[in-house]
Amino acid sequence: MRLYLRPILSLSVRAIFACFFINKYQADYYRLSLKSAHFEVAIVTKIRNIAIYGKGGIGKSTTSSNISAALSEEGYKVMQIGCDPKSDSTNTLRGGRFVPTVLDKLRSGKRIETNEIVHEGFNGILCVETGGPEPGVGCAGRGIITAIELLKQKKIIEEFSPDIIIYDVLGDVVCGGFAMPIREGVAEQVYTVSSSDFMSLYASNNLFKGIKKYSKSGGALFSGIIGNSINLPINEEIIQDFAANTKSTIAGFVPRSLTVAKAELQGKTTIEADPDSDQAELYRNLARKIISNESRYVPAPLGTDELKAWAESWYDRLLQHNKNQEQQDTEPVKSDLKYYELKPDSAKAKVK
Amino acid sequence: MAAVIEERPEDVIYPEVMEAPRYSCALAGAYSTAVGIYGVVPILHSGLGCGIGQLFGQFYAGGQNAGGPQGGTSTPCSGLVEEHVIFGGEDKLRRLIKSSIELMQGDLYAVLSGCVPSLTGDDIESVVKEFREQAPIIYVKTAGFLGNSYEGYELFFEAVIDQLLNKLPIKKGLVNIFGVVPYQHIWWKGNLRAIKEDLQKLGLDVNIIFTEFSGLENLIKIPAAELNIVLSPWNGQRVAKKLEEKFGTPFITLPGVPVGPKQTTRLIQEVSQALNLPTEPVDELIAREERHSYRFEEYFGDVMILAFPQPYFSVVADAGTAVGIAQFLTNEVGYLPDKVIIDDGTPEENREEILRELKENLECVVKPEVIFDEDSHRIRENLKKGNSLVLLASSLEGPIASEFGCVIHVTVSFPSYNRLILDHNYAGYRGGLRLMEDIVSKYCGPL
Ligand SMILES: Nc1ncnc2c1ncn2[C@@H]1O[C@H](COP(=O)(O)OP(=O)(O)O)[C@@H](O)[C@H]1O
Ligand code: SF4
Ligand SMILES: [Mg+2]
Repeated sequence: MRLYLRPILSLSVRAIFACFFINKYQADYYRLSLKSAHFEVAIVTKIRNIAIYGKGGIGKSTTSSNISAALSEEGYKVMQIGCDPKSDSTNTLRGGRFVPTVLDKLRSGKRIETNEIVHEGFNGILCVETGGPEPGVGCAGRGIITAIELLKQKKIIEEFSPDIIIYDVLGDVVCGGFAMPIREGVAEQVYTVSSSDFMSLYASNNLFKGIKKYSKSGGALFSGIIGNSINLPINEEIIQDFAANTKSTIAGFVPRSLTVAKAELQGKTTIEADPDSDQAELYRNLARKIISNESRYVPAPLGTDELKAWAESWYDRLLQHNKNQEQQDTEPVKSDLKYYELKPDSAKAKVK
Repeated sequence: MAAVIEERPEDVIYPEVMEAPRYSCALAGAYSTAVGIYGVVPILHSGLGCGIGQLFGQFYAGGQNAGGPQGGTSTPCSGLVEEHVIFGGEDKLRRLIKSSIELMQGDLYAVLSGCVPSLTGDDIESVVKEFREQAPIIYVKTAGFLGNSYEGYELFFEAVIDQLLNKLPIKKGLVNIFGVVPYQHIWWKGNLRAIKEDLQKLGLDVNIIFTEFSGLENLIKIPAAELNIVLSPWNGQRVAKKLEEKFGTPFITLPGVPVGPKQTTRLIQEVSQALNLPTEPVDELIAREERHSYRFEEYFGDVMILAFPQPYFSVVADAGTAVGIAQFLTNEVGYLPDKVIIDDGTPEENREEILRELKENLECVVKPEVIFDEDSHRIRENLKKGNSLVLLASSLEGPIASEFGCVIHVTVSFPSYNRLILDHNYAGYRGGLRLMEDIVSKYCGPL
């Protein structure tokens, strides 16, 4: 009996292995043919999950969308998941239009079809918005948890198999829900978008606390600060000093630029609206940096008092800086410092 | 190879876990309180489990009682699910209140909100206010995590005071009774009736709020009382204080529902003093009632002395019940107190008073060890160290009483799964007689 069984068994085992190899081969072939122009992409076999955090209105969505756009130009299949009840993360990837959110669909109580929550945007970027409650009601944090769990349940990621997923997440990591993307099995790398304002750095510091907590249980690690709206050397210095104090690194600086605002008015990313601008090139550089950045670590968040003391240490220097600026303003030959922010493509000076 | 199983030492204490606590959540207490008042329709704004869980965990455990026409499976519930957590449950609540008013007959609707809407911050107040014109309605924010069943009782009455009660002219001779928590104090129905009957003999109009058909009327007349009587060392205190602040009603506190002649006389005396009643008729009443109950105590004298003279006893109960029973058995029957375990989570600030009642006010050279503990495991471990023959506790101790060397176990406190309790009680002048009936009947006989 056994004697007969054995060859049959080993045959079937072989068959299974064979199937496996064919599938894998086919998959890789697929990737190769899709992105023949960018061979290096084919070796990305594992999905790159990146979460971008930051305080509300600081430029997360703008930065995320431009990074997504830049990466899609490079031939990557990108999915951007907006985790903000505002649901406007992917607007500039979709002509300024809102897309139906995961939670809207869930709320309708009807069967959810994947094409109802994954929408194609600029250059084939897959756009998803978790959605959330109206301001002031319900629990947005739970909304994010539910939406991400639903994406997992529906095997959305497997179905679309993007190379890169960017989670654009609101917040201060105020509760467990906003920490969802950095918990085990969601994102591996985290960036924070921050200006040199104290509240914005405070949000980054809170993010560091969240990362530290979850790092013990396989959560995401930190990969860098993206300084946004950085137009003056002092803005850069503040962020650099914050990074040094929290044992973190800086992924890049993005200046404030009118190009961005203009593109947004057209419902487009800078990359789409003004591909030849310096700002677009700057976003491309940032995207390349992010995709090649393998460094992941646990930053050292400051305690509440330490953070306050650190911020205070900057007050005097900022005061002095403002005084100098006022003096310059009254001088007959005006420096354009004051209007720096408003000038289109002030980025020029910044591209590194 | 045989696996080595590490033996757990008997008296290991696990401070971070609690085995079978003897109460439910704050929502449960408010729910019981609502159901205890006839004509109140509770509307649960919570998950479905909150309602059905309390049917088993609070009502059945409170002497195998059902929830009544508005309790248990008949209770309207918003049945909150994920969707309401994320987007808020106000709409659902609005629709639930509307249909409840249409479908459920009642004198007062009470929205009780549980853990979920408290976390997501539903604006229950404004939703409830929309219905104020249509029906008498109140809301009670009773997130389960605010505390235990006893807390729910306070929260319910605080809501009633804030949202329903208005100042009324004082009605002479009207007194309210507080401190008896429906279902959680398993004798609530009988206790309140017995106390009412005893106090009525003073010519008082006694508002026991619960059990009577005039539920809403009873609530509304609370501010007209001349005096509030709190029959617990801590339950109902907050309510009485709030009524004093808002309506100026004075209150007196007794350490529990009185059991037997001595404690009932103390109640009568304190009440008549507080109300300045003429002493002569009060003294006459006391003499008459005491004589009657002591005459009846003589009937059980023989069986008690012949079979079981002066046994040690232990009590496991809520503070008020424990004090009442321990004082009666020690002071009036001559039993010897061994351990008194108080399992209701009495707040720290109320413990001293209870200790005084259980030490100084026991007329016996033997003083009990008084333990405040709600953990069934530790309660068991403590009872094992005792040497009582008689154990007055919850039904949880019933099947294992012999492990503690106890020959007799009588369920006197929550939970009472092994005893149906409808009208029975140990309160008032005759209450002690009924307690002795229950204890002695366990060992006399068998034929
Ligand atoms: N580098 C920039 N230059 C000019 N405007 C910017 C820049 N970054 C962000 N903005 C503008 O700031 C506003 C908020 O940005 P957004 O990306 O929506 O923030 P968030 O997603 O963090 O809430 C938008 O109007 C956006 O166009
Ligand atoms: S603890 Fe909260 S969730 Fe549990 S039954 Fe009580 S109210 Fe409901
Ligand atoms: Mg955004």
